[in-house]
Amino acid sequence: MSLASLGGNLLGIVPLGDIVFYLNPLHLFLFVAILIFTFLIAISHTETQVEAEFGTLGDKKQSVGLKEFKARRFLSVICGIATAGAMITGDLYNFTLFMSLVGILNIGIISSVKQIGVLDSVFQYGLIAMMCSLPLFGGAAIVLGACGTVSLLAIQSMKPTAMMIFGAIMLFIGVCGESGIAPFFASKAEMFRTPGSPFLLIVHLSSLFIIIRAIEIVLIICT
Amino acid sequence: MRIGDIWNKLATPKRIPRLFALILGIFLIIGFMVPMGLNVDQLYPREAPQVQVEQGLAMAPYARGGEPLVSPGITKSAYPQYAPKLGWINSYVSPLSRFVMSLSPYFGTSIYSSPGGLIDEILYYTRGFDTVLESSILMMAFIIASWLSVNYTMNRRNDSENIKKDVKIAISNSDLIASEVEQNNIKAHRKQNRRDN
Amino acid sequence: MIYVPSTVPHIFSAMYIPAIYTGLIIGFFSLIAISMQKRDIHVLVLTDVVGFAMLIVVAGVGTDLAESFILPGLVVELAEVLAISEILISREMRKISADNPSASFNPMPMKYDMEILTTAPNFLSLLLIAYGVFLTGFTGGAIAGGGILLYILSRKARGLPVFVINGVSGVSGIGWCMWIIAFWIFFVAPQYWLLCLFLAACGLLLKVATKMGLIGVLMREEYGKD
Repeated sequence: MSLASLGGNLLGIVPLGDIVFYLNPLHLFLFVAILIFTFLIAISHTETQVEAEFGTLGDKKQSVGLKEFKARRFLSVICGIATAGAMITGDLYNFTLFMSLVGILNIGIISSVKQIGVLDSVFQYGLIAMMCSLPLFGGAAIVLGACGTVSLLAIQSMKPTAMMIFGAIMLFIGVCGESGIAPFFASKAEMFRTPGSPFLLIVHLSSLFIIIRAIEIVLIICT
Repeated sequence: MRIGDIWNKLATPKRIPRLFALILGIFLIIGFMVPMGLNVDQLYPREAPQVQVEQGLAMAPYARGGEPLVSPGITKSAYPQYAPKLGWINSYVSPLSRFVMSLSPYFGTSIYSSPGGLIDEILYYTRGFDTVLESSILMMAFIIASWLSVNYTMNRRNDSENIKKDVKIAISNSDLIASEVEQNNIKAHRKQNRRDN
Repeated sequence: MIYVPSTVPHIFSAMYIPAIYTGLIIGFFSLIAISMQKRDIHVLVLTDVVGFAMLIVVAGVGTDLAESFILPGLVVELAEVLAISEILISREMRKISADNPSASFNPMPMKYDMEILTTAPNFLSLLLIAYGVFLTGFTGGAIAGGGILLYILSRKARGLPVFVINGVSGVSGIGWCMWIIAFWIFFVAPQYWLLCLFLAACGLLLKVATKMGLIGVLMREEYGKD
């Protein structure tokens, strides 16, 4: 399918050698939206959870220290910028690298939590992220082998073959695992029961945006 | 089995990567049924193995033509119009490397490790943004790892207090040993004295 | 003389199917092994095997482009192993200290009885660093970093303070900035491509070397408290 029928007319391109960023109304909207969210997250503060203790009448406050706060804010701002970059990139391999960057930043944002259950979840998530290097880069390489190029602007006019579709679906499985959305929600729910919520929101947001973009890319390749 | 049980089993984080691995493994099997074949019309093609070695080129597997600082080499990139200085890095070899090249016919195998050459052209120039992201990924991984170890693994005990405690234990230990030695000495002296008397 | 053929030579297109099938088979078996494995550390090691399968699939294409795609793939694998193993260590420590608050985490002292670490570490690491600087780029960084690693390994002192770690990471950040500046000059002012090439090569050298050095510093902190 052509780019124009999916995201609207091409507004412009940003060429950086072989890697060409292109803008159309859909990408522009996603790009601006994620940047606004990133800005909101950058100026916000962490929330403090109050847990009721068993057996006594006392409460336990779970707050985030200043150092942890700073480290997490830095990681979440970078995560927002990386997601914004993935929205406008026009190169398949570049997209997979953006995806890995978002994946490792998601791991980093959650890994600074001190609870054992959360650390266990983030470790399991990290295992999935590591396994996903095979479907992500392997899928991109299969598309490269079938098309001879990884630029989406060139791929859009090609007739899809079975091999291209296989590569695209493989890539999509990789994106699913790396951003860990819906199928792995059980694992995520475990991670989000932690203090310091606004920074964890960027994990949700980035996976949401990336999945939208990944579906668009799969459609460009497959149809 | 009821669906609630399945959800409960899935809620254990430990099972998720195993399940994911199983699904991905089964998906890879489909790859054997899909007709595969390399499209021969690729970007950045290269000669077959050993062809350039047999031709006796000094930069054997990576010789792409061009003179250093005189003429650009051949780079078949996707968008030549967006890379105005295409091929110049490809043909460039630093003077030191040129000296090594005049001595050894195998310099081409270490093209990765000298400024200039085809791989540097791809990594730094035509696909430079990939390398930017790659080094950012490495940086983020180091930030995460060193943050964890600086703030937890390394500082897991209060260092100065720990040392103080260790020193105290050491002092009391040595005191103990010294007193034991002294007492043994006294005993031995007494025995000796008894025997002498 | 033909330097670059117009299409991919026949040998590569003939080898593509075996290569990609090898990759798929390795990926399949390692993934099935992961799904049957019980212990977390074994799964972590097996995910690296999955990474090898990815490298084979990428390398099967057999062009210069595929060759340059291998490096990012490899680095991403390496980076993720580093971060995730650190998470595993901290999780295990927390688990043990939650069960038994007085448990000792003093790691076993490193007992390596190698003569080379007492006689010539300074000379060897200087040699390695000099050779790394000559090579520049990623490989050079790895070799120079190996020199730093050897130097730190040979020191018997207790670990370095946090300030030094921050300093080493700062140098690495400067290397990264050099590389970013070089990348922008490439497209803003292409006539200075030679300057950019050297900025990028030296930036990568600095970055990778300091990162490897940092591994050494962390290693001494982790296991060197004897």
